[in-house]
Amino acid sequence: MRRYLVGLALLAIVAAACAPESSTTSAAGPTDSGAPAMTPAECATAHSGDLYAADTLTIATGNPAYSPWYGGKSVPDSEWESSSFTGDPHTGDGYEAAFAYALAERLGFTEDQVSWIGIPFNKSFAPGPKDFDFAMQQISISPKRAEAVDFSEGYFDVNQALIANEGSPAIGATTFDELKDLKLGAPIGTTSLQVIEEQVQPNVEPTVYDDLDLALKDLDNGQVDAVVVDFPTAFYGYADVVVGQFPNLGGEQEQFGLSFEKGNAFKPCIDQAIVEMREDGTLDALKDEWLETDTSVPTFS
Amino acid sequence: MGSPGKEAYFPRGKPGMDPRFPLGPGNRRSRILGGGEGSRSVWVAVVSTLLFFAVVAILIVNSPGWSAPGGVRQLFFDREQFMSSLPKILGKFWRNVFIFCIAEVCVLTFSLLLAVMRSLPRGVFTPLRVLSSSYTILFRGLPTILVIAILGFGMPALELQGVPNSDYFWAIIALVLVYSAYVTEVYRAGIESIHPSQMAAARSLGLTRGQAMRHVILPQAVRRVVPPLLNDFIGLQKDSALVAFLGLTEGLRQAQITAATNFNFTPYLALALVYVVITVPQVLLVDRMIERDQRKRLAGGVA
Repeated sequence: MRRYLVGLALLAIVAAACAPESSTTSAAGPTDSGAPAMTPAECATAHSGDLYAADTLTIATGNPAYSPWYGGKSVPDSEWESSSFTGDPHTGDGYEAAFAYALAERLGFTEDQVSWIGIPFNKSFAPGPKDFDFAMQQISISPKRAEAVDFSEGYFDVNQALIANEGSPAIGATTFDELKDLKLGAPIGTTSLQVIEEQVQPNVEPTVYDDLDLALKDLDNGQVDAVVVDFPTAFYGYADVVVGQFPNLGGEQEQFGLSFEKGNAFKPCIDQAIVEMREDGTLDALKDEWLETDTSVPTFS
Repeated sequence: MGSPGKEAYFPRGKPGMDPRFPLGPGNRRSRILGGGEGSRSVWVAVVSTLLFFAVVAILIVNSPGWSAPGGVRQLFFDREQFMSSLPKILGKFWRNVFIFCIAEVCVLTFSLLLAVMRSLPRGVFTPLRVLSSSYTILFRGLPTILVIAILGFGMPALELQGVPNSDYFWAIIALVLVYSAYVTEVYRAGIESIHPSQMAAARSLGLTRGQAMRHVILPQAVRRVVPPLLNDFIGLQKDSALVAFLGLTEGLRQAQITAATNFNFTPYLALALVYVVITVPQVLLVDRMIERDQRKRLAGGVA
């Protein structure tokens, strides 16, 4: 008994002594902007010690990876399976995959130095050390989310849109009022649900799905009348009709950003690269290449 | 006071008590604290317990990831998030309550039927026995979430006339199918634990097999399996969260939505608390039922 108590006390001392050792390596990272002329590639070299894996840019995204963000036929031994609606990030096809390789190139990485891992959405903001450098899966930037993770500069301006199949009562709707009594669906983790709740304010409770695939399954089954997805996804042909698009929530342009662990020291290099790519038209070119930019669909009001 | 011989027979506890329950059947406090040796051991137990949990708390709070920005304290123990998500989660948790209550009633009935089918004599009834046993084999082998996904997404796609397409309906059916398989085995264990001589005695008194089952075997069998039945009921309550997979916004899905919107895991903790809070009274209730039942049987003289 006494020995047990002594053991507990010892354990307490050990616990107090060994625990508080945070791994705050290279705290000087974000602040050493002493050399303003550093290119993103030079920045990447200087901060190569802050990468998850040496000389490799490790990017996390969802699996399955949906078009039009990811495309192409699966490369051998890839975790990702390609289909008419999904792709493999390794191919560099699709907006986000192409953006990732363009970003890597600007930072001085070769194609072989880009590594992908598949994660569920929850993991992109789980606390603790990450097994990737950043997550890239159409994550919308918001101040509340920024308390948990660090976001990069926005790399894509996005709106939400409503899709439905032939015969749905949603077709022809142009106002929020016409959508109020419809059964709407949205994939989880997107701002689609917020759009439904804040703009449509429906009388019927919206259904929320684990991923796009399940939402579309129920759309085909007729369990929901229409599904809210981001604008480029809406145009990919997942459903028969793009009914309309939604205005920005709270009047602020919604943007996708890369999500980093709080305090990631490599992020400034990436921010610098994204700003460059935005200014020199690279992002616009990627958008023209991979996404449908038809904006003739009506905006709900 | 008993004779010396009697004291030798009851080595611990007061004379006159059942030797299987040396502390008395209702003495829960001393059972948990390991007491029975006076107040000193109770104090040691209290101090040791407090010390133990203090050590664990210190260990957690001082870990490097606890207080870092974006660390565990901020992402799991956010007071504001907790307060704002709990009412929302509770509001949706009623759907779980609805689902598991209806499912439990169906499970208890359906599986009793299956268990009785299983206990029928061989011969003419062999097909029923085979049906019952192959059912339990199949559905105990299938992961619950697969059954929910297959029924919930598959059945509405068949566009059957007259069959509801509601997520609730298919979720309840799936849970009933899976849990009935487990509960059938529980009932069967109870039925088989009743000595065959009781059936023989009942038959010799002129009861039919059905009457003997209804009036002699089942009342005893069911009483014996109350704790495992509660086990399965609690399992069912927790598995009602799997219904979220179908897109039905119940407790877990509500927690997920809030977590994914704000990038904060505190809603999961709030939901976990809700589950614990509903489980504890059930466990206490069944413990009390068992104790009362044992006391009643012991009071009857013949155990």
